[in-house]
Amino acid sequence: MDFSLTDEQELLLESIDEFAERYFDEDTIKAMYANHGCPDEIGEAYRDAGFGYMGLPESVGGIDTDYLTLALMTERLYHKTGCMTPFMTAMLAMKDIADFGTEEQAQMIIEAYNQSGQCAAALGISEPAAGSDNNGMTTVVKKQEDGTYIMNGQKTWVTNGAVAQFFLIIAKDEDPSYENKSYSMWLVPAKSEGISVGLLEKVGQQAIAFTDLFLDNVKLTEANRVGEAGKGFYLLMKNFEFERCLVVAQGLGQAQAAMDDAANYVSERNVFGRPLATNPLVRDLLVEAETILENVRTYLYKCCWMLDNGQSIRSEVAMLKRYATKGCTRVADIAMSLYGGLGYTEEVRIGRIWRDLRGNEFAGGAVEVMSYIAGREIVKKYKKN
Amino acid sequence: MKIVAAIKVVPDDEAIKVAGDRSLDASKAKEKISTYDLNAIEAGAQLAAATGGNLVAISASYEGATSKKVQKDILARGPEELFAYGDAKLATADSLATAKALQTLLAQVGDYDLVLCGDGSADMFAGAVDAQLAALLDVPVVNKVTKITPEGDKVVVERTLDTVVEEIEVPLPAVISVSPEIAQPRITGMKDIMAAGKKPAHVDAIDAVEAAVEVAEIKAPEAAPRKQEIFGEDDVEKFAAALAEAIR
Amino acid sequence: MAKVLVLAESADAQRALAAGARTIGDEVVLVAVGAAETGVADKAYQVEVPAGAVADDAYPAVQGVFDAEAPAVVLIEPAAHTKTIGAKLAAKAGAAIIPNITALEGDVATNMYFGGLAAKKQTATSGVKFYTTNGALFGDAAASGTDAVETVAWVAPAKALVLKGTKEVPVEGADLTKSDVVVAVGRGFAEEAQIQLANDLAAKVGGDVGCSRPVAENLGWLPRNLYVGVSGVQCAPKAYVAVGISGQMQHMVGCQDSKAIFAINKDANAPIFKQCDYGIVGDLAKVLPALTAAL
Repeated sequence: MDFSLTDEQELLLESIDEFAERYFDEDTIKAMYANHGCPDEIGEAYRDAGFGYMGLPESVGGIDTDYLTLALMTERLYHKTGCMTPFMTAMLAMKDIADFGTEEQAQMIIEAYNQSGQCAAALGISEPAAGSDNNGMTTVVKKQEDGTYIMNGQKTWVTNGAVAQFFLIIAKDEDPSYENKSYSMWLVPAKSEGISVGLLEKVGQQAIAFTDLFLDNVKLTEANRVGEAGKGFYLLMKNFEFERCLVVAQGLGQAQAAMDDAANYVSERNVFGRPLATNPLVRDLLVEAETILENVRTYLYKCCWMLDNGQSIRSEVAMLKRYATKGCTRVADIAMSLYGGLGYTEEVRIGRIWRDLRGNEFAGGAVEVMSYIAGREIVKKYKKN
Repeated sequence: MKIVAAIKVVPDDEAIKVAGDRSLDASKAKEKISTYDLNAIEAGAQLAAATGGNLVAISASYEGATSKKVQKDILARGPEELFAYGDAKLATADSLATAKALQTLLAQVGDYDLVLCGDGSADMFAGAVDAQLAALLDVPVVNKVTKITPEGDKVVVERTLDTVVEEIEVPLPAVISVSPEIAQPRITGMKDIMAAGKKPAHVDAIDAVEAAVEVAEIKAPEAAPRKQEIFGEDDVEKFAAALAEAIR
Repeated sequence: MAKVLVLAESADAQRALAAGARTIGDEVVLVAVGAAETGVADKAYQVEVPAGAVADDAYPAVQGVFDAEAPAVVLIEPAAHTKTIGAKLAAKAGAAIIPNITALEGDVATNMYFGGLAAKKQTATSGVKFYTTNGALFGDAAASGTDAVETVAWVAPAKALVLKGTKEVPVEGADLTKSDVVVAVGRGFAEEAQIQLANDLAAKVGGDVGCSRPVAENLGWLPRNLYVGVSGVQCAPKAYVAVGISGQMQHMVGCQDSKAIFAINKDANAPIFKQCDYGIVGDLAKVLPALTAAL
């Protein structure tokens, strides 16, 4: 086993360091959380450095990149900034369209990204009554006599929903009933008539705008459909595995940022004439946090390695997501404890990171759903007959 | 226009430790491009792009320059080719020895129109290598340049000094050293980095360094003891009293 | 003892370096680019820069003086024009430049290594030794000498630079090397308008405003002659008040000789707090007005 990074990976991470250093100061980050988004200047710089094209297929002007490298750069960006950014989620939505859509659809999305540097597409899957139970979905597309289509329904938890130029929406074909398992994917311009969005106020992660998406008689044609009719969902599921890796990479970076601050703080802070860091109870907390970070990192890299080698990680990534997102919240929690009362104020960034990390326990499937997925696989794995 | 960026690879000073005997320990310090040289590379890359010319890099540096990673870092920033010495004998080379080494590297490059240097290297900060190299090459030299505009077989530069900006016509070939604000270094992307691995890098040991300066000792200074009395935001009065006392 | 040649442009540097030369040599010769000061050297030359020429091209004329005088040591003002001329003289003489020396004991010169991380002691092995220095190491040495000045004829080099024009940069702010109190503005200032808070404090204590390099060069909020650091001004006021400055070595080198260092920074972990006499961890927007009011 070789855990060392290549020169190229190290140089890329140094470039990410420079990007973080140049564009993200604490005031900018605070403004991103207040305004629910990333300034245009930063989106453009990310695009101009070519980071935004990494992971997209070369056929659309992307830069073919392995999953491990994508996870490494995500972890590093979140580590060095300590904040959330829309870039990787935006890339994944573009990748879905590039992977499953027509050449025209892919080109349209890439051009929208080239122009603005802002998120080109946002995924609309979850609904108020349909989270992990997809069949509860009621958004439906019905074919009209003239050959066009009409979409109706409501989506929620649409990441980057307030800034996206297109939505990639999963909807049932013709019949909204629970029994219907025929879904299609549709690429819908955000400015289409009948579309409206409403911002969701979250506990954390405010730098990323999550929205409700209301679809009221939205007119579509066959040209809006992405991939084969009736197979929409199965296509999209494939990218869920890596999406969960990315949630973990993001959380790992932020948890490491919290650790950086807190572990240094206890060395500087004197209590009863000695640095806090000399206290055995404080050291136990440091060891617990560092162990979680090491484990999350190693497990994340292994999952990415498996993906890069063409292996399915359905069960592994479910266990990773469950362990890592809870673990990273625990690290932020420890960081808060290490700061004492100061950790519970807005004078330090630990509280913000803690709120962000708590949200990751829901992102890309709640931890309990991860237990459901992995548990089923574990039973299968160990059953003798 | 054929442009040569003359740059230095140095140990990362943030990782240089001071040992108990006040000597420096650079064993944990990774090699990196000297900060102000990044601006020279970027200025060269932009000028090459604007003139349809090309940029190569030369470097007379310590053994850190033999690192493939730092070579890729240099080449990812625009130069098409690198000619360098990476040799411990150059670690504390004086300005003339460095200029002489650069002169032999320039001979490997062949024809050139412009040699670009940074404002000063992180280790020595002499700001003398540019002029000494120009003297050896018998070409004109201008320092503190903040803008370069090509005009036929000349360039017109703006040289920004404390109280005056000089607009100077410089016949080519020439050596020009630039101030940092001439161009902000690019943030290199994966495409640049991958391409760098395919560009030629010729990095060798140097035969001999003819030193004009003998270094006797390098030691961290004994820090002037400071009181380090730190107050909170509510204790402005005490801070003010100390300041009033200091300027009395 | 030996003959020392001083190569300088500004009047202050001519005087300071000539005074210093007197302490290390038995004969002081001044060659000035532009008008020479009187009463500072045993022999004074000046090279007048003709219209349309660049001062660096005084090099051939200065070379003539150098050849005629054959000094053992050359002290050079570390300014743009004189650095170039001095470095060319040295190259011709087979010598290096030992830059920005802070001490000189016989032939052993001390200067900074890695922006002040260490001090380097070294000896030039060439016949003539070339040093650049701002002259601070010579302390209060007084200059003395002849009032006679010989003007050296301009000799244009073969590949001359052409001065097409100049734009004056309005000189704002003080000569920080002469200030009793310096209030230094760093990246911790959120916006240019906040500099007024530093101006107010400086006005109250009869001091002057300086800054860190990025504030002058990247943000352009203050003129370049006001940035303190290894490549900028090195000052030694009675009190140096670093506001919103993290305390990187490249900056601290420019103020380390201050009698007292004061720091205001919102980051309790900023390295400046290890290098100051008095510090306040806090928001400069609150601390500066309170401090100005309290004085």
